[in-house]
Amino acid sequence: MSKKKFVITNNIRKLRFFADEMTQLDLAEKAGASRQTIIALEAGKYTPSLEMAFRIADVFGVSVEEVFEFKVVEGKK
Amino acid sequence: MTYKSKRTLTTMIVGAALYIGYIVYAMGKYQTDPENIKSWAIALLVFIGISIVAQIVLQILFHIGLAVGMAVKEEMKGNGDTDKVTRNLNSSMVEDEMDKLIKLKSDRVVYIGAGIGFVATLIAFALGISNVLAINILFGSFAVGSIIEGIVSIYYFEKGVHNV
Repeated sequence: MSKKKFVITNNIRKLRFFADEMTQLDLAEKAGASRQTIIALEAGKYTPSLEMAFRIADVFGVSVEEVFEFKVVEGKK
Repeated sequence: MTYKSKRTLTTMIVGAALYIGYIVYAMGKYQTDPENIKSWAIALLVFIGISIVAQIVLQILFHIGLAVGMAVKEEMKGNGDTDKVTRNLNSSMVEDEMDKLIKLKSDRVVYIGAGIGFVATLIAFALGISNVLAINILFGSFAVGSIIEGIVSIYYFEKGVHNV
């Protein structure tokens, strides 16, 4: 029997690069988060709330789907 | 190690040091005054007051040290930008949803510790153990609970946390 695993990945590093190499500090200030949270997000150590996800997408001027990706991984139990 | 981990670690170390100091004091006091519950209540209140003052002083010193450390780091990079240091410091101190989630998870440890301590205190009363010992069991459970809370917080700050 397989067990579904949900994984949320993000493209924040790539989006920062294309936003004129925006720093983590700049993004943190614009999104209303701490720099540590942005670092954790980029490293996949934190899954943000829906509100934070929208705020980050808004900073880059893109949709949430372009920042975050939702994947379902089938795993064996 | 992040700013928040360092701050939690500092608070935890000072809390643990103060509690060890209290244990040493309490062991001496128990030899001379084992049953006077009023004097023990006063001693605990004084200790709580000392702890609060010590933590406030320590947080001030910690932030001064951190600001100096950041400024020196920037200077060594050949970039004496004080504005960047201020921005970094302000950004580190922002308490956002990740911090609240970590606090929520780590606070549970304190509640569990306090709950176990309360039951242990009731058992101590039921077994006829002295009031002084019982009150110290309760106090100790809070102290140990808050130390473990610090460890849990640092774990989540370093390893990450997810909304599940």
